[in-house]
Amino acid sequence: MENKLLVSYSPHIHAQSASVQRIMLDVILALMPAVLFSFYLFGIGAIIVTVVAVASAVLWEWLIAKYLLKRKPQIWDLSAALTGLLLAMNVPSNLPIWMVLIGTLVAIGVGKMSFGGLGQNIFNPALVGRVFLLISFPVAMTSWPVPLKSRMSYLDAVTGATPLGIVKDGVRNGEKISDLMHQIPSHMQMFYGVMGGSLGEMAALLLILGGIYLIIRKVISWHIPVSIIGTVFLFGGLLWLINPEKYPDPLFQILTGGVMLGAIFMATDYVTSPMTPKGKLIFGVSIGLLIVIIREWGAYPEGVSFAILIMNAFVPLIDKYTKPRVFGTMKTKKQN
Amino acid sequence: MAKEKNNRLEIFLKGFIKENPVFIMLLGLCPTLGTTTSALNGLGMGLATLFVLTMSNFVISLIAPYIPSKVRIPSYIVVIASFVTIVDLVMHAYAPELYKALGIFIPLIVVNCVILGRAEAFASKNNPWDSILDGLGVGLGFTMSLTILGAVREILGAGEIFGINLHIFKGDGILVFVLAPGAFLVLAYMIALGHKLKKRMYGE
Amino acid sequence: MATKVKSTLFSMTLTLLIVTAVAAGLLAIVYKYTKGPIKEADLKKEKMALQQVLPEFDNNPIAESDTIPSDIEGDSFKLVVFPAKKGDKLVGVAIKTFTMKGFSGRFDVMVGFLPDGTIYNSIVLSHQETPGLGDKIDPEKSDFSKQFAGKNPATFKLEVEQDGGDVDAITAATISSRAYCDALQRAYNAFKSLDLSKYEN
Repeated sequence: MENKLLVSYSPHIHAQSASVQRIMLDVILALMPAVLFSFYLFGIGAIIVTVVAVASAVLWEWLIAKYLLKRKPQIWDLSAALTGLLLAMNVPSNLPIWMVLIGTLVAIGVGKMSFGGLGQNIFNPALVGRVFLLISFPVAMTSWPVPLKSRMSYLDAVTGATPLGIVKDGVRNGEKISDLMHQIPSHMQMFYGVMGGSLGEMAALLLILGGIYLIIRKVISWHIPVSIIGTVFLFGGLLWLINPEKYPDPLFQILTGGVMLGAIFMATDYVTSPMTPKGKLIFGVSIGLLIVIIREWGAYPEGVSFAILIMNAFVPLIDKYTKPRVFGTMKTKKQN
Repeated sequence: MAKEKNNRLEIFLKGFIKENPVFIMLLGLCPTLGTTTSALNGLGMGLATLFVLTMSNFVISLIAPYIPSKVRIPSYIVVIASFVTIVDLVMHAYAPELYKALGIFIPLIVVNCVILGRAEAFASKNNPWDSILDGLGVGLGFTMSLTILGAVREILGAGEIFGINLHIFKGDGILVFVLAPGAFLVLAYMIALGHKLKKRMYGE
Repeated sequence: MATKVKSTLFSMTLTLLIVTAVAAGLLAIVYKYTKGPIKEADLKKEKMALQQVLPEFDNNPIAESDTIPSDIEGDSFKLVVFPAKKGDKLVGVAIKTFTMKGFSGRFDVMVGFLPDGTIYNSIVLSHQETPGLGDKIDPEKSDFSKQFAGKNPATFKLEVEQDGGDVDAITAATISSRAYCDALQRAYNAFKSLDLSKYEN
C-alpha cells in the first residue's frame, strides 16, 4: 500500500530544469515589489489581508490533503502560498478576514483540490476564489479603499470607486468621458500605481518589472502577457477611435484594473494555460478581446478574471489543435 | 413476480439512496437546479413532482394493459400532463407565493424525465400497488434531494432555513449560493456525497 | 410486454380518444373549481400592495381604477391610477408606475400619494434586479424604499445624492436606486396632472 515513490502531479513541461518549488518561489519573488508597494499604499489592511490569505491557503491545502484526500500534504511546493498571495492581490484591502478565509477555502478546496490537486485543476484557483467572492459579496468586493488615505485603519478605511467603475457608471448615466476625466487619476499616476482598486491592481510599473524578471528567468514566456496587453490596447484603441466620448483611450484600458496582474501573473499559470507558443497566442488574444468586451458591454466594470477563467476552459481544446507534429511524421489528412 | 412482492420494501426504499433520481441517476436536473433557491421551494417542487409521479404511476399501471404499444408514449404523456395541470391550477389558487417562486418549472414537470422514466421502466410492467410504492419512493427521494439542496443553498446563501433567520451572517449571506453557479456547485458536491454514501451502504 | 391490445389504426385512435377525453373532462372539473380562487389570488397581490402604500380606505380602488398616459422618448405607456376613499373623502391616490432604467430592465412600483402630493409609501411589485445589490429596492431586503415615505417630491428632489438629489442610494447599486427614483418621478408627474376633484363625490 505504501507508495515508495512520491509522485507529485507535474504539468511543468514548460520550464526546463526547474522544480515546482523554484518556479513558485520565482513568481512570489517577482510579485514582491508590487506586494510591498501595496503595503505602502494601503497600510495595515493590506498586510492583514495578505498574511491571512497566504497562511489560510496553506492551511486549507494541508487540511484537505491530509484529512480528505488522505495523501501527503505538499505545502512546501509553495503553490498554495502563491494562490493565497494572488488572491490577496485581487481583493480590496478592507475585506473582512472571514471573507478572505472563505475566498482561500474556495480557491484551494473547490478550485484546486476538488480536481485532484496541483496540475489537475482546470481553472486558475486564485481566480476561482476571487470570482466566488465577487459574486457572493458584491458590496464588500467593490468598495475600494482610497490609497494613502487611511493606512492605519483596516475595516473602516475610506473607500472610493475605481477608475474603471467611474467611467462605466458615468457612461451608463449618459455622461461624456471628457467630463469624467477630472475624477480619475492621470495616466502617469496609474502607471506608478496610485488609484482606487485591489491590492495588485496598483503599480503597472512594478508588475511589468516582475514580468521581465520572470521572462529572463525563463519561468514564463512573453507570448501570453504581450498578446493580452497588446490585444486590449489595440481593440480598446479601435473603439476609442470610433467614439472617444463613449470608450476610454487604450492607455487607460491597459493601465487600469487587473490587466497587468492578470496578463503577467494569472493567465501564465502553467496548469491552466496552453503549452505551445501558438496556443499561448490564441489564448492571450482571446483573453484580451474578452476583457474589452466585458468592460464595455458587460454588467461589471472589470472583466480580467472572467476573461481568464472563460479561456481556461478552452485550454484543452487549444492544446489539442496546436499540438506540434511529432518530428519525422507527415502531416496526416483528416482522419476522423 | 413473487420475488418482487418480497421486495416491496426495497421498491420503496431504493429511491432514497440506491437509485436516488438526482444524486445517483442524475435525472430531472433542470428543476433541481432551477428551483432550489430555498428549502421551501425545493420542498414544494419535490412534493409537486411526488404527487404527479405517484398518480401517473398508478393510473399508467392500471391502463397499460389496454394501451396499444405504438401509442403508449403519447398516452402516458397525456396522463402525466393532466396531473401536472391539476397541480398547476391548484397551486396557483391556493399557494400563489410558491406558484410564483416555482414559475415555469411547474408546467415543466411534464418533461421531467424521472416521471416518464418511471412510467416506462416500472409502472407499465408492474401492478398498481407496486407502482404507487415506486412512485412514492422515487418521489420522496426526489423531494428529499431537492429539500436538502435547497436547505444547503438557503443556509449558505441567505443564512436562513425555511425562512427562519439563523443569524450566521451580518447582512447578506454568501450570495453565489442562491444564484445559478451556486446550484451547480452544491449539486456537484452532493453527487459526490451521494455516491460515497451509496458505496458505503451497497458496496461497489 | 404487458399490453394485450394489438396496434391497429382503430385501437390506437380509440385509445388516444378515450385517454384525451377523460383527461380533458378531469381538467375541466378542476379548472371550474380553481377558477375563482385563482382570480382572487392574482388580485390579492395588487390589493395588498395598495393597503401598504395608502392610508386606510374603505372603497374598492381596483374597481374604480383608471389609466393615464405617460410618454417616454416618444413611446406612450399607461400608468394605472387607484383612488382610495374613506367615506366620500379622497384619502390618497396610488399609482402603478414603472421604470425602464433598472439594471435588468423594467420593474414596476406601486406608489401612494396623499392628496397634497406627499408620498405615503411605495413598494416594488416585480423586479429582476441583482440579488444582494439592486434587489434592496424591495422593502423586505433593505430600508431604501422607506426613505421616501412622508416626503413631498415638490421639495424632496427625487435624484440620488451623487446626481445632486436628496435620495440616499443603495451602496454599490446606484443604477437601481436611480431607476427607482425615475419610477417615482414618473408617478409624481402623472399625479400632478390629475384632476383630483373628479374623485370627490
